[in-house]
Amino acid sequence: MRLAFIAADDVSFSYDGRNPVISGLDMEIAARGFTAFMGPNGSGKTTIGKLMMGILKPVSGSVLIDGDDTRQLSLGQVGSKIGYLYQNPQFQIFSQTVTDELTFIPRLKGADEDDLMQEAERLIRLLHLEDKKDIPTFDLSYGEKQRLAIAGILACSPRYLILDEPTTGLDMVRKQMLISILKELLGGGIGMTVITHDRGFIKNFSGRLLKIEEGRIFEESI
Amino acid sequence: MRKAFDSFDIRTKLAIVAGISTTAVVIQHVYVLSFLLIISILLSALFFGDLKKTMKTTRRLWYVFIAIIVLQSIFNRSGSPLLSIGGFTLLTDIGLVKGAEFLLRISVILFSATVVASSDHREVVQGLVQLKVPYEIAFMVSVGIRFLPLLRSEYIDVMTAIQLRGIDIRKIPFKKKLKVYSYIFTPIMAGAINKARNLSTAMEARAFRAYPERTSYLMLKLVPKDYIVMILMLLFTAAVFILYYVFGFPGRIL
Amino acid sequence: MIKPLEIRGLYFKYIEKGPDIINGIDLNLEKGGILSILGLSGCGKTTLCYCMCGIIPHIYGGIINGEVRIFGRPVEDMKLPTISTRVGIVFQDPDTQLFSPTVEDEIAFGPENLCLDRFQIGQRIDESLKITGMSRYRLSHPEKLSGGEKQLVAIASVLALKPEIIIFDESLSQIDDAGKVKLKETILELKDKGKTIIMVEHDMDNLDIADRVFFMDDGRLKEIDKDRAGDAIGLYSRR
Repeated sequence: MRLAFIAADDVSFSYDGRNPVISGLDMEIAARGFTAFMGPNGSGKTTIGKLMMGILKPVSGSVLIDGDDTRQLSLGQVGSKIGYLYQNPQFQIFSQTVTDELTFIPRLKGADEDDLMQEAERLIRLLHLEDKKDIPTFDLSYGEKQRLAIAGILACSPRYLILDEPTTGLDMVRKQMLISILKELLGGGIGMTVITHDRGFIKNFSGRLLKIEEGRIFEESI
Repeated sequence: MRKAFDSFDIRTKLAIVAGISTTAVVIQHVYVLSFLLIISILLSALFFGDLKKTMKTTRRLWYVFIAIIVLQSIFNRSGSPLLSIGGFTLLTDIGLVKGAEFLLRISVILFSATVVASSDHREVVQGLVQLKVPYEIAFMVSVGIRFLPLLRSEYIDVMTAIQLRGIDIRKIPFKKKLKVYSYIFTPIMAGAINKARNLSTAMEARAFRAYPERTSYLMLKLVPKDYIVMILMLLFTAAVFILYYVFGFPGRIL
Repeated sequence: MIKPLEIRGLYFKYIEKGPDIINGIDLNLEKGGILSILGLSGCGKTTLCYCMCGIIPHIYGGIINGEVRIFGRPVEDMKLPTISTRVGIVFQDPDTQLFSPTVEDEIAFGPENLCLDRFQIGQRIDESLKITGMSRYRLSHPEKLSGGEKQLVAIASVLALKPEIIIFDESLSQIDDAGKVKLKETILELKDKGKTIIMVEHDMDNLDIADRVFFMDDGRLKEIDKDRAGDAIGLYSRR
C-alpha cells in the first residue's frame, strides 16, 4: 500500500448543509512531485484544496495529512507541514517590509536571530526580491507580492505546497519566473499541488493531472 | 402567508421596527418589555420566518445579561440583597430587574429588526432615498450590505493564513497573541483601502455626483395595506405610551 | 474628421521626483475597430488607460505634459461625467466595480447619475442586457455571478452611458477560459455596433480579436505586427 502524504477517503462536503459541492472523493497525493488540479469555475477545485489543508473539514469521510486526520489538527499544525498560497497574495502579507515579513514568524517561534536573518536572505535571493528589500510591501507589484507570499510560506519550512490559481494576473515574464522558482523547489524535494485553469502553465511540469468535473476526479497525464 | 407579508413596502416595515424599538428603548418596565418581546417575536415569525437564527443570536446575550445583573447589584445602593458572600452583596432584586430589562430590550430590538431583514437590500436603499435620506448615506448602507460579508470572509482568510504559518493562536501566550493580531491589521487595512479606492474610481467613471440630484429607476409605491399597518403601528405605540405614562399601567414592580 | 481619441506628446509621472510612467506617447485613434495595447506588468498601461478616460487628471493627480483629446476636446477641460458619456472603462477586478444590489441596479446607476427619466433608464437597461446576453440575470445579485458574468455586467453598466469608446483594462485577466470566450464575443459585437475598443493586455492569447496591436515599454508605444507579438515580449522582457 502506497503511503500517501495527503489522503482523502470518501470525502463529502457542502457549504450550506444541503447541496454537496464534493461527494465521494477518494484521492492520494505523495509528498514529492507535482500534481495539478484543473477544472472549470465552480467545479470545486479550491474547495478540494482547502479540504486538503484542513481549512475546511469534511462533512463525511476523512482527510489525512501524514497519517493525521485534519479534524484533529490545528491550522498551525497543518501549516508546519503544508504551505498554502491564496489566489490573492495580499491576504498573506502581514508586514510593511520584506525582511520583517520573512522573519517575524520565526522570531515569534523563538528562532535564533542570526539563523532567521540568514534564512530570510536565502529566500529573498530564491524569490528574486533582492532589489525590493527596502520597498514598503504595499507598493510591491502583484507578481512581487505573490513571490513574497511564497517566501513567507517557505520561511515556515513546509514539506509541501498548495497553490491556488498562482498564474492569475501574471504576465508572460512573471509566469516564466514562477515556473523556474517552482521547478527549483520541486528539485529541492518540496512537493506541490497547483490548482489552476491555465493548461499552458502546467505543460511546463511533469506529474499528475487531476481533472475535476461535477465534484468527481479523473486522472490524466499532463 | 410569508409572501403576503414580504409584499409590504420597506417603509412600512421600517415604521414597525421604529415603533417597537423606540417603545422598548424609552419604557423601562419588565412587563411592558415582555409584552413587546412577544409582539416582536410574532412579527418576526410573520415577516422573517427564521426564528431559530434570531434565538441563537439572543442566546449569546445571556452572558452580558449576567454581567449587567452583577454590575447593577454592586453599584446600586438601593434594592434588597438576594445573594451576599461574606457581607459583600452580589445580587439584588433591583439588579435582577435591571438585567432582565436589558436582555428584554435588546431581544425586542433584534427580533423587530428581522422584519426589515426580510426585504431585499435594494428596497432598503430605495426606501431610505424616498424617505428623503440623502443618497450618499443610503448608498453607504447599500455598499455596507454588499461589502461587509466580503470583508468578513477576507478577515477569516487572513486569520487562517497567519495560523497556517505555524501559529496556533489558541495556545500562544497573551503577549504573543496581541503581536499576531497587530500583524493581521496590515493585510486587512491594505485590502480595505484598495477596495475603497477601486470602488470610488469605478463610481466616478460612471458619472457619480454629476449633478446635485439624481433620478431613480426603482420606485416604491405605498398601497392601502401599507397605510393601514402604519396607522395601526402609530396607534399601538401611542396606546402603550399613554397607558404607561398617563394611567401608570402596569404599575411599579419594586 | 474629428478623431475619437488623440494623444499628443504625452508625458506623465505621479510625483515630481518620480519616474516618468508615460514617456512621450503619440496616438491617433480612428473610429471603430479594436486596438490592443500589450505590455508587461508595470509598463504604464493602466496609467495610459486612466489618461484616456479622464481618471487622470480628474481623480488621480500627477504631473502631465502633452495633451489627450476626446472628440477634439482636451480631457482636462471636460468634466468627468461628460467624459463618461464618451469613454467608458471596464476594470480588471470584477468585484470592486460592481457595488449595487442587483444587476438591474448596477446598469441603472450611470443613467440615474445623469438624471435620465425612468423610461430612458429602462430602455438603456434593456439594450445593455441584450447586447451582453445577460437579460436572464436582470434581478440577480452580482456577487453571486461568475467572474465572466460579472465582467459582462460591468460592460453592460458602462454601455448604459452610451460611450463611443470603451477601454478594457486587463478585463480578461481574472476570467477563466469559458468566460473569456463569451467576453471576446461581446467585445466583437460592440465593434460591429460601431464602438471603438481599446484593449489593454499582458496576455498575448487575448490579442486574437485585435485589429491593431501596440507594444508598450518604458512608457512608450510602438505599433507591432499582431503575429509577432511574442517576439516583442521576448525582445523587451526584463526581470
